[in-house]
Amino acid sequence: MMESIKELSKEEYLLKGHIACAGCGLTISLRLLFKALGNKLVMVVPACCTSVIPGPYPYTSFAVPVQNIIFEATGATASGVVAAFRQRGIKDVPVVGWAGDGGTFDIGIQALSGAAERETNFIYICYDNEAYGNTGIQRSGATPYGAWTTTTPTGKKERKKDMPFIMAAHRIPYIATACPSYPMDFINKIRKAKEIKGTKFIHILAPCPTGWRYDTSKTVEIGRLAVQTGMWALFEIEYGKFKLNSPSDRLIDKAKRKPVKEYLSLQGRFRKLTEDDIEKIQRWVDEDWERYRKLALNQYV
Amino acid sequence: MVVVPKTRKEMPVTALSVPTIGSAGKTGFWRDFKPVWVELVSPCTYDCPANNSIPKIFEKVRNGKLDEAAKIFLETNPFPSITGRVCPHLCERHCNRGEYDEIISIRSIERFLGDYVLKKKGERGFHEISAETGKKIAIIGSGPAGLSAAYYLRKIGHNVTIFESEKKLGGVLAYGIPPYRLPKQIVEKEVAALAKMGIKIKTGTAIGKGVTFEVIQKEFDVALLAIGAWKERDIGIPGEEFMMSGLEFLKEVNKGLREPPGMAVAVIGGGNVGIDVARTLKRLGAEPTILYRRTEKEMPAIDEEIQKAKEDGIEFRFLTQPVEASKRNGKIVLKCIKMRLGEPDATGRRRPIPIEGSEFTLEFDAVIKAVGERPDTTWIPRKFLNEKGWIKADPATGFVGENVFAAGDLVSGPATVVEAISAGRKTARSINQYLRGEEIKLEAPLEKPVKIEKINIEYYEPKERVKTFELPPEERTKSLDKEETLGVSLEEVESEADRCFSCGYCRSCRICWIFCPDSSIEIKDDSKPEFDYDYCKGCGICSNECPCGVITMQREEE
Repeated sequence: MMESIKELSKEEYLLKGHIACAGCGLTISLRLLFKALGNKLVMVVPACCTSVIPGPYPYTSFAVPVQNIIFEATGATASGVVAAFRQRGIKDVPVVGWAGDGGTFDIGIQALSGAAERETNFIYICYDNEAYGNTGIQRSGATPYGAWTTTTPTGKKERKKDMPFIMAAHRIPYIATACPSYPMDFINKIRKAKEIKGTKFIHILAPCPTGWRYDTSKTVEIGRLAVQTGMWALFEIEYGKFKLNSPSDRLIDKAKRKPVKEYLSLQGRFRKLTEDDIEKIQRWVDEDWERYRKLALNQYV
Repeated sequence: MVVVPKTRKEMPVTALSVPTIGSAGKTGFWRDFKPVWVELVSPCTYDCPANNSIPKIFEKVRNGKLDEAAKIFLETNPFPSITGRVCPHLCERHCNRGEYDEIISIRSIERFLGDYVLKKKGERGFHEISAETGKKIAIIGSGPAGLSAAYYLRKIGHNVTIFESEKKLGGVLAYGIPPYRLPKQIVEKEVAALAKMGIKIKTGTAIGKGVTFEVIQKEFDVALLAIGAWKERDIGIPGEEFMMSGLEFLKEVNKGLREPPGMAVAVIGGGNVGIDVARTLKRLGAEPTILYRRTEKEMPAIDEEIQKAKEDGIEFRFLTQPVEASKRNGKIVLKCIKMRLGEPDATGRRRPIPIEGSEFTLEFDAVIKAVGERPDTTWIPRKFLNEKGWIKADPATGFVGENVFAAGDLVSGPATVVEAISAGRKTARSINQYLRGEEIKLEAPLEKPVKIEKINIEYYEPKERVKTFELPPEERTKSLDKEETLGVSLEEVESEADRCFSCGYCRSCRICWIFCPDSSIEIKDDSKPEFDYDYCKGCGICSNECPCGVITMQREEE
């Protein structure tokens, strides 16, 4: 990994001076997006942390074209940009929808579903920090079981939606999960999505020190633990074909996965979990992996 | 340039892409801690008596810059081809990688680079020598300390002459260490390279006989004594005249002797000389037995050598102290007494105590003693010696008095080759300060080495330590001249350099840069990170992720 990082461009399109919290996982993800695509892209960003962090008008920390739009309209607006590009004969500029988990799992799901059904040629990236972040950490459809948010003060009682598989049910050509802790896997998936025609959905785990209650220096470590414990699996579904990616592909054997407790115990939002809760989460993770094992074996979703 | 709109009309249609200056301003003021890039001392550098900059050398190897890697070696050790073979490699002892999988084989890289650079050393212009200073320095003795000092003094531009009483240069390298551990052509090549640097060599010239030390002192600006420790100590028992000296025996072998002094030979002593003698005897066809008055644990010899001696099939008799030797029917009869271990002595090893009435006798064809060596200082002027006959030298700077310096075993007593090399370099430094009329000052001591907690081991894959090939005992004991350990290939060296955690030294991997959420780390041309403190929010990810532990978080001053 160290070798391939050296080959990445030194050009920065997320300029310093943005106002994201210290240790923000989403801004690392944004930088990786620009490492993958350069500045030749159009971003469609709904209400979410990303619409706040460039700072107040008349300045912005984005050095790429960004369209800030309303919460529910990422899929719809991206469809419009794609249609306009088609009209004008612009073929080589990828359109990237970049939304948080609230704007994807809950509020924006209808527009995204419609765009996917229309086979709109764009990349939809959901950076998932498992809560409504910029409004002060409220629960979303992506908040995991047991996690504290301001609206779930004793911990969320319901499980998280399985968004990549909801998108798989749309039969789109490319679905992938990624995590900024594995930057080369992240960048390669975005580059791959760019080359595929149709709707591409990339789901990113973006650890959030503010909402998850952990030390700002541990963002990359938490992401890595999410993968190592199996709480977050790195996989691709390409034209319906399921494939686990490194290092998740080595974790099918339960003995190779770290216990989920290692991931949960580092985060204040899980402080109120009981041993029973942790056991339950471990069981769910193991069940997910049993499903991944079968999918990897049969290959098709 | 940042446009600052003053009126409503001047406000832009879309926001301008510049680092935000308005309400948020420079985000650096959010910070409580700031990341600082500090190189730290690695355990290998710390433990190496010569303080070789091992992580720095490995970084050059990883970048394929072998010439530069070798040159960094030469800054602290002019003879890596020699230490790569005979050094006990204390540097590997606390290697942090050992807590992850296996320690790094520093020795194989050292040997590879040593051999690599040895080929280049003869080339014109490889060693840059500063302008001639016109200062004349006499170095008496050409062991590792003398040669090392000669190298560094010559590099500064001094006029260096080495005086050696034997025919060849090298001291213990040429006449002590047996050829199966250190092939003599390696020493010859190193010496030839030194001669090419313009160092004058006077062999067969024993100071004290013919030329007196006073003359040397007068004719040269500085005289450096590096005569080693070549005098075998006495055990202090009756019948010692029937025994041979271990060092003398090794000297004869290195000069060409290939006949053992007998079939059954006793070697008294558990140090490196004793082991070298015993293993040499085995290769000459004799059956040596090592007699040592303590147990294996207390043996001062290099551990690896003790193990190899055992593999060679050499018999050890521990807790055995000879008390009398006599000659009977052409054989030497050793009367010995059994010992037991008592309380630890000044060296920390448990003191051997004789068991009364446990005397027994052993019979040998020859007996060689190697119970410790000391310098032969009989010809050195009395004013430079203390009442015990040892040289009065500052152990750190090597300064003796007047224009006389000393280095190596003469000062420290018997030690390893690398310690002598290090002493030679440090004394060369002192001599240079003396010649410039400066105060003789020591190099600053190294900071404590980096612990594994500072290293992010997630960036390393488990990988086996490179294996050095060694001749099996049945094969190696057949020949005295065949080197028993073989070198490794360039691929293996690169693999080993890649395994290195590079503790406290930047690998230029850019992990810090790729993970900075604030785009506040810049990679400069030399691939080292630079922080933009105007914008860095001090999250600490770079410090937490650094695979080498070179980024430390420091509290901001109020």
